[in-house]
Formats: sequence, C-alpha cells, structure tokens
Amino acid sequence: MANRAAYGAIAAVVAAAMLAASPAQAGKERIRTAAPAPQPILVQQRIPQRERRQDAIEPVAPADLSRIGPPQPNLPAEFIPIPDRWRLIDNLGVKVNFWDPYNQNTLKADRPLPGTDDFFVNLAVISDTVIEPRRIPTPISPNSTQKPGTNDTFGDGDQMFYLQNLVVSLSFLQGDTAYRPPDIEFRITPVFNFTRAEVEERAVLRRNPADGKVRNDVHLGIQEAFFDYHIRNVSRRFDFDSFRVGIQPFSTDFRGFLFQDNQLGFRLFGNRDNNLFQYNIGYFRRLEKDTNSGLNDLGEEIRKDEFFIANLYLQDLPRLGFVSQFTILHNRNDEDSEFFFNKNDFIERPASFGDERLHKYNVTYLGYNGDGRVGRAQLTTSFYYAFGEDNHSQLNGNLIDDNADIRAFFFAAEPSFDFDWFRLRGSFLIASGDSDPFDKKEEGFSALFENPQFAGGDTSFWIRQGIPLIGGGGVQLTQRNGVLAELRSSKEHGQSNFNNPGIVLVGIGTDFDLTPELRLSTNFNHLAFDDTSNLQVLRNQGEIDEEIGWDLSAAVIWRPLFIQNIVLRLSGAMLLPGPGFKDLFASSQGADEDVLYSILANGTLTF
Amino acid sequence: MRRLRIIGVAVAACLWAGNAAAQISQQALTTAEVGQIISQAVAEARARNVAATVAVVDRVGNVLGVFEMTGAAGTLRVTSGKGIARTNGLEEVQQTFTNLGANGSPTRKLGAIAKAITGAYLSSSGNAFTTRTANQIIQEHFNPGESFAPSGPLFGVQFSQLPCSDLSVRQATNGVPTGLVDATAGPKRSPLGLSADPGGLPLYKSGVVVGGIGIESNGTYTIDPVVTDQDADVEEIVALAGQSGFQPPDDIRANRIFVEGKSLRYIDQDVNVLSSTPANTPTFASINGTQGNLVAVRGYYAGGALVAGTAYGNSESGFAADPNGDYNGVGGTVFVLFNGNNPPTARFAPRDSISPTTGNGGLTTAEVRQIIRSALRVAFASRAQIRRPLSSQVQVTVSVVDANGNILGIARTFDGPIFGTDVSLQKARTAAFFSSTTAGTYLGTFNSTVGGTPSTQNANGKTISEYVTAVRNVLGSNALQDGTAFADRSGGNLSRPYLPDGIIGEANGPFSYPIATWSPFNTGLQLDVVFDNIATHILYTDVGGANNDTGATCSAFTADGGTQLTRISNGFQIFPGSVPIYRNGTVIGGVGVSGDGIDQDDMVSFLGLHDAGIALGTGVGNAPPARRADQLRAPGGNLRYVNCPFKPFLGSRQNNVCHGK
Repeated sequence: MANRAAYGAIAAVVAAAMLAASPAQAGKERIRTAAPAPQPILVQQRIPQRERRQDAIEPVAPADLSRIGPPQPNLPAEFIPIPDRWRLIDNLGVKVNFWDPYNQNTLKADRPLPGTDDFFVNLAVISDTVIEPRRIPTPISPNSTQKPGTNDTFGDGDQMFYLQNLVVSLSFLQGDTAYRPPDIEFRITPVFNFTRAEVEERAVLRRNPADGKVRNDVHLGIQEAFFDYHIRNVSRRFDFDSFRVGIQPFSTDFRGFLFQDNQLGFRLFGNRDNNLFQYNIGYFRRLEKDTNSGLNDLGEEIRKDEFFIANLYLQDLPRLGFVSQFTILHNRNDEDSEFFFNKNDFIERPASFGDERLHKYNVTYLGYNGDGRVGRAQLTTSFYYAFGEDNHSQLNGNLIDDNADIRAFFFAAEPSFDFDWFRLRGSFLIASGDSDPFDKKEEGFSALFENPQFAGGDTSFWIRQGIPLIGGGGVQLTQRNGVLAELRSSKEHGQSNFNNPGIVLVGIGTDFDLTPELRLSTNFNHLAFDDTSNLQVLRNQGEIDEEIGWDLSAAVIWRPLFIQNIVLRLSGAMLLPGPGFKDLFASSQGADEDVLYSILANGTLTF
Repeated sequence: MRRLRIIGVAVAACLWAGNAAAQISQQALTTAEVGQIISQAVAEARARNVAATVAVVDRVGNVLGVFEMTGAAGTLRVTSGKGIARTNGLEEVQQTFTNLGANGSPTRKLGAIAKAITGAYLSSSGNAFTTRTANQIIQEHFNPGESFAPSGPLFGVQFSQLPCSDLSVRQATNGVPTGLVDATAGPKRSPLGLSADPGGLPLYKSGVVVGGIGIESNGTYTIDPVVTDQDADVEEIVALAGQSGFQPPDDIRANRIFVEGKSLRYIDQDVNVLSSTPANTPTFASINGTQGNLVAVRGYYAGGALVAGTAYGNSESGFAADPNGDYNGVGGTVFVLFNGNNPPTARFAPRDSISPTTGNGGLTTAEVRQIIRSALRVAFASRAQIRRPLSSQVQVTVSVVDANGNILGIARTFDGPIFGTDVSLQKARTAAFFSSTTAGTYLGTFNSTVGGTPSTQNANGKTISEYVTAVRNVLGSNALQDGTAFADRSGGNLSRPYLPDGIIGEANGPFSYPIATWSPFNTGLQLDVVFDNIATHILYTDVGGANNDTGATCSAFTADGGTQLTRISNGFQIFPGSVPIYRNGTVIGGVGVSGDGIDQDDMVSFLGLHDAGIALGTGVGNAPPARRADQLRAPGGNLRYVNCPFKPFLGSRQNNVCHGK
C-alpha cells in the first residue's frame, strides 16, 4: 500500500502538469489528426496508395495569373488508349512484379482484379520467428522427477522456446479504395503455428511427467474471418458508419491494457465531423484458444463469455493533439457449469485456486484513455474502474453468503520526451490489489485479455514471461505478455480473477534511433505488489514482502533495408529479484542463481 | 516500504517468539457437556426425522458416550459408491460378515466412533478439520474431480489408528489388553481407522480441541467424490447441531487453510440450516432412555453413563510435557506419551536399538535422542502449511524405529494433531521396512490369522506376495532386496492407482489396485496386510463371544518366527513424511514425521536426520544419495525421495534447503 500512495502522488503530479501546460500550441491553426486506430495484432493492413494525380500538360501562362486556364485539347497523336487509370503505368512500360509489395501490385490491392473496376484483393504474408532462451521459476513435479537428487520444490529454471508463425491474410475489397473507405471487405487470416518448448523438469509442459521435457506442437488458428460493410457516408469528407462481423482484431484502448485480441464479434463503428469523433459499439463472444499457440481454436466449443463495448474517441480533448477516449465495457462470464482442461491436461476453469468451485461473474469497466502530445511531450494514460459481482468468491470460504462485490481500479501513464534522435520515457502503472481475501469484496484488478505495449512491452521480463505461482495453486502469478499479477490459470483459457495482489510499476525507458535502420531501447522498471495478503493466504505464508524487484531490459531493432518488411529484433531482460520475489521463489535448485532472464530473438518478414 | 518491511519482520519475529513460548491451555469436556452435545445432536436429528447414532470422544480418542436413538441401530454398509464388489478391501464388507453369520456387522456405532475420532484427531489449536476435510485429501486426485492432479496429500491416512496398532491404546473398559500396548492412557485406536464420511466434527473449548462428535444415521459409510458441489448431508448437519457451543474459532477452520493454493473443506452447510435450536435443547437426562440409550461398544465404551474427557497436556490424557529433559532447548515445549499408570510414566523415551543391536551398528539412546531433537528443532523453526494464524510453527510427532520397526523414541511438539502420533510411527516403519534387503522375502511370508486359504492370502483372498512380483515388474527383479533406500514418498509413488500419480490412463502403481477397483476402502498392499485384523476386530466388537479381539500388532508373517511384534506392527503408511536411517551405508532404522503438510513432514524427517548426523559424527545419517529410490526410473520418470517445502523456515528467505543433502 505504501507503493500505491507514493507512486500515485508522483504520477498524478506529472500527468496533471503535462495536461495543463503547453502554451506553444495556443492560437495556432487546429489541425485535426486522425486518432490512432486500434491496431490489428498480427496483420499489418496496407493502405492503398493515395497519390495526387498530376496533369501532364500545363496551360500556357494566362493573362490573369490567378485564373486557371482551360483544359488543353488532347492531340490525337498523343492519345494512348488505356483500360483504366490503374493500369496507366503498364502503358508506360513499367513491369509488374508480383513479389514486389512496394510498387503497384494487384495482390496488394493497388489495382482491381482483372475484368473488374472496383474489386481488389489484398494479400499479406508474414513470417514471425521467435527464439527465446529464459530462466523462470520452475517447479519439480510432485509425482516423479527428471533426475535424482531433486529434494526440493524449485527445480532447474532454464528453458528454451521456439515459435514460428506464418500469417497469411487475404482480403477481398469492393470500392474505390484510393479515395474513400471500401464498401465491402471480406478478410480471412489463417495462422500456421509451430512451437517447441524445452525445459529441465517434468510435468511442466504437460501434466503427465511421462511426456518429458520437450513439447512440439502445431496449430492452425483463424485470427481473422470477417465481413466488413460500409453502410453509408454521412458527410462529404467520408465520415461513415460501418459494421464488421466475424473474427476481428479489437483493442479497447491505445496500449492493450484491458482487451486486445482477435475475437468473434459484431462491431458497429464510424466517425463524425471530419473524424473528430470516432465510435465503436460492439458485442464479442470469446472463442476458445489453443493452449500452446495462443491462437483461436475453432475446434473447441465457443466460450460462455461475452462482452459489450461502447467507446467514443474525441480528438483534441482536452487540448490540441491529444485524443481522449471514453469506454464502457460489460463482461458477462457464465462458465460455472463444467470443468475445462487445456490441451496439456492442466485445469483451467475453474482455476485450481481457493475452493476450486465453479463460479461466474459480471463486471463492468468504466474507462478513460488518452493519447497524444502535450507540448513537446507525448503522453498516454489509461484509467479503468471495474465493478460487478462474482457469484462465488473462491477465497472467502463462505458457504451460504458466498458472493462478492468486485471493486477494482487500474491506472497507467507513460509520458515521453523527444530530444532529437533520443526519446526518454517514464512509465507508471498501478492495478489495485485485494486487501482481504476473506471479505465479500474482490479488489484486485483483472483484465479480459491484456496485451500491454507499455514499459518495454515484451522486452520486459515481467511482461514477457509467465511465472507460475508455485505452491500457491495452479495459477500464474503473472501471465505471458501481461503486466498484471492476476493469479488466473491462464490468459488464454482462464476466467478473470479479482482476488489478486495487484501490481505497481514505475519505470524509465529510452529509445535511441542510432541510425535510420537501428534503434536501441532500454527499460528499467521497478515492480511491487499492491497488497500481498491474498498471496500469503494462498501459500499459508505470513512473510511476503511487496517488492518484486527490478526488471532491466534492452532491445535492438534493426531494419536492414529501412523498411518495415524486414525487422529483426534482439532483446534481453533480467529480473533482479527483490525481497517479495525471493519470499516466493527460487530460480534454480541451488540457491545461487537468483537472476532470472529472458532473451528474445525475433525476425519478422512481411510481404 | 522499507520501514514497513522492518516492522513486518519484527512482527513476524514476535509471533514466532510468541509461538515458541506458547502452550495451549488444558481443557476437557465434562459429562454435562458431553450430555449437552449429544442432546443437541438428537434434537436436530428428531427435527429432521432421522434416527442417529451419536458418538462423542475426547481429543485422545476416549469414547465419552455413544447414544443410539430409537431405531438408529443397524448395519453399516461400507461403499465408495463406485460399485466395487465385496472382497475388494472393505468395500461391501457387511456382505462378508453376513456370509460369516455375523448379520448386522459392522454396526453403525463403529462408524459414529470412527467419525468422532477423525474430527478430534485431525484438529489442533491451529487447524480445525473434519471428516469432510479428510474426504478431500485422501482421494486419487487433489482436489477430487480435478483429473490428472496428483492424489490427496494424506492419501492412505484412513488406514491409521488401526485396531491392531501396537501404539494406539485400547479403551480401559476391557482392562489393559494383552500384547505390547503397555498403557491405558494415550491415543486410542479407531474401529475403522479414520473416516472420510461427512458427519465427524471436532469439538473446542476456548480454542482448544477437547474432542470430536461423529454421527451415523444413513447406514452408509462412504466418501464424497464430488467436492465442488454443496451437499446437504444430514449426518453433517446433525453433527453441526451437536457441536453448537463447542465450535472452533472461525479463523482456524479448514476453509481458511490452503494447501497448494487450494482451501480445504470444513463443512458444506452452516448453522443457518439447522432445523432445531441448540440453545433450547432439553437436558440429556430428559432424553436418555426415552429417545434412545447410551449403548455399550465392546472395546470402546461400557455404556450406561457418560464419561468426562481428559485434558490434553495432563498425563491422564496420555500426552504431557517431557518430564525427562530429553528435548529441552529445541525451540518449544515438547510433549511425550504417558501410560496412564499411577504414578504416570512417560512412554517411548529414547532407547537403544534392538535390531540391529548397538554392538552391530544399531542406534544408541543418545543417537535416538539427537535425531528426535534435531527433527523437533527443524519443526519449531519451520513454517506450518496447515495451521493458522500465518507464520505458525510446524507441529508434528516424530517417531524413530530400528531396522525391525521396534520403537526407539517418540516425541512431539505440544500441539501436533493426535493422528500424527500413530501415523509418524507407521511412516518410520514403512521407510525402514522397504529399505531393507529382506522386504520382498518378508512380504512373501504373510500368514493369515483368520483362515485365508492358503495362509499367504488374506481373508479377502488376496495374495500378498503378488505385490512383490508387481513391484519387481516395474522396478526390476532386484527390487525390495537390493538395499535401495525408500522414503515414504518413494513407496507412496508406487502405491497410487495411477503411475505417475494422478495421470488418468496410466496403469496403477504396483502396490495399488487399478483405478477400476481402487477406492479409499481398497487401497492395495496397505489395506490387504491389515484387512484380517480389521475384520477380526469388527467381529469382536459387534458379536463378541468366542470372537477374540485382534492382537496388538498388525499383520502376521512367518518370518517373525511366532513373535507377536511384526516389522509393521501398526500398518503401512503410504503418504510422505519419513526417511530410512543409515549408518555407513547400512539401513538401521527409520524416522517418521506426521502432523503438518506433507512437504513439512518430509523436511522435518530428512533435515532432522541430516542435522543429527552432523551433530553426532557417528556415521548416522540419510541414505547415501546413490542408494536412494530417486535413482530408480519408474514409468513417468524417477521416483521422488523427499520434497522439501517452499519458503520452509520462519524468519528466513532460504529455499531449496534440502538440496545437495
């Protein structure tokens, strides 16, 4: 709780100061910038070329210099017949190369399909390769071991992880894509996934220790399959209303704190007033995930978990260059009827946690998110308040009066300042923790499906790696690609869990654009729990400090050809465990190797 | 935050110091209170139109009253509900008794007593457990229903406190029994072992366990395979009414105690569902003889009158502070057992090994004392897993035996749950037994005392030597004779209905039955070697006459040459918490620990022996690492030897404290 008070005060002052003062912009013309639209996770959408047409022939100088001259009659000898404007360059002798995404390419929706004038196809192919050595706390299997001499609870934590995704995204569009949003779009994005994990202990990768220390798995996930319909334009500047139905990417906020995923839903969206306002009204019903790839698994029954979302983006609020977004999201989870085990035979629902009884919950999130610039600085903020009811608290132990009220909050802010080729970032985040596991209130903040791009994102150890709460149940202290200490069975399959210790992150980071193709980023984050009383009860351990420790990381991003189509990244992170972490874990059998690390080598090739 | 941390450490240190100094107050039930408890239960049973048998015991298992309501008498059907037929352990054992002409056996009174003893024995001032708690932690998965999860931490504990135990004392109603039990006071045996059938609760006064209540009304002695629902179990509700006024503090109930992040079950209903008002209950005198009677149970209770409970901590209970000074300065008050004689005499003070003799490398009195001292010191320094408040010390019983299972010493921290007394001895003997080079041969000489034909079969027709064959099929033909050191955890790995433990689809461990016929009433070797004793005892208590009681030793083996003591005189135990004792590469005994989490039990035995070995410098210690069972590859991987707990010590951040030892 000490963390919350101290860091909260600092962050509030910084945020308020940044929002209050930016005199340099006063009185200048208001330039309306587009709000950063929710970014698809896996597929980079290519926006068709919007180049101004140039008239080839200028009139002779008119008498009145301000008057535009009449069009020149084309001379018959100079007239070259072309089928349409798209194929102009063919007639100029430019050869089309289907493998070249950088020049006009029918596969990239630069030109309509042959025989049509407004049907386009857009193909994207992305190869994503990850090699990830890491050391994370790893339990020794209680029922059998890899090797003799393992007398304790914590085993050898060294692990290797390999991932190869091949993303193929195919869109069919109808519409005059160069000038306005397409009228219709069908898109399907299958992802072919291969993962390999190597660990040093048994029963970590699969529940059966007989399955050993290595797991190879393949999966075909459908990450996008939607129909997008442009209902109407509502202004001459193409403000519009559209709907999109099917598996689609969606993010509730700028940084993926509450929900960022590709899920099945129906969404009505559009804008008004020259894009000054943008809105989304959506309903999503979540698909089950594949355990090892995290991709959608259409072979499983759809989950009994749905959410309704409405949000509104307002540009230039409260000041020029800053976008504010207001959100209301209601999540209804009805997964209280049967046990669900993942592909590796570990229980996911209900979590192996507390009394392990089935339960369901309703929770509403009220959110404010902001992103933009304030004077010379950039600022991102996010605030959520969660309230609702859990029909059965797994911790409070009540038999009759066993429901609990959910009351939790989340706040994050990341100001940054650019100095020439150097950016300095500050990160602050707090998710409230539950203060009394036995009362009728659940005060730990839990998200639907977080994917935070914050404080270093997956460069950071804490955010990148999932850490099992060894000795405290079949739950993760923190999820892979998550910043919250949610204590849920997994982000992919598990229910939200509002009985958790919360998290307080304070960090400072830098981005150095060393050359146009080379960026170096560093992150120094300090992590602490908000309140460890739930952890203490789960482990029957009275002494658990709040301080998790320091998470230090650095990443090099290299774009050898100056383009986004080939991006290579190498990052390394280490967690220097603080007293709270040491109260919970040992990272290896011997007590010496305390430092945990996460190395990420990532290559992304995009067509 | 730093300041908070310092305060936190200081508070923890105070708690720790406070705990070390603490001793629980001596409390006991009066006859009036026993009557009140019975009367409250009877009122609830009447309100629900059921005829119940109510048993009340004190903390150490003395039966204080068995009240049979009119119409409550009857046969107790034993079934797990899995549809397993007679001759599989205790499943449908009432049919076997019918075939023997003992119609009505076992009686419901035995079920009620077993439940009451379970409520009392599993509880302490730091934890209040019930038969529902027992149900949750003895099944093939923990939690029951969580497929693939390993078995319950106390898997097999139901077959402890056995009527044939040489440690557990027989009720004074029959005088001092023959055999090796040299006491009238102390932990009493239970006719059916511990119970997992809801309807047994602990009784408390001022936060101290003073006994247990057990209700049998439906005539079925069973388990509950589903713990995720919320039962309205009439036996449990009647017990709840009886417990009124004698409840444990809320904060120590099982539902606030977490093992592997899972909270334990206490009860499934609370007092709001009572149909009666305990405060308005009529006096016991007004119901005795009209709504039922106090009935005698041979070997347990004389009937006719209520009995006052003994106060745990007073030597009349059989447990009191060590009078000999053997365990001074180990970090807290140490209790030992007393025999109940006048003047009272402590039992199981450290003594020399019998087999082997001290001349042949057996443990000396001083070595036994040091092993127990070191183990208790580890316990007092360690974080309890099953006790509240948080940061409580481990509370356990420590038993040391020689290579043949002779008791060399028993002592306990002052508030260890009683069940651990018998169980720690079972564990010590089990480790010493399976680590011996004659274990296989010995099991082959099983000799049924109740007409198994041939005599190598028990009365259910199970041939004990087949377990030796089975284990050799898994571990190789030298198993049980090659001198491999088996901790109880290692043997336990082989005693589960799945190997590896919990993994559905895998075959059974060689000491277990396959899952189709396995149940908590049919575990395998553990029960099969004592089944004859339990059956004999039931005939004795229910029928009597020519049916003599079982001897004060479990099982019989011709290898013992007719001596009454066997190497496993109170039965095998198959959940973790013991290691064999070695001297210079030879097994000379075992140390067993029971009463806290199984990882704590493991650590107290393993580290205690390790520390004692260093202190002694006489070659005594743990098995050489190369000889331990974790060298053995079984299906799924190597067997486990011990599993020391996370964050084991109070006031320290050390982890992996057993590594390399």
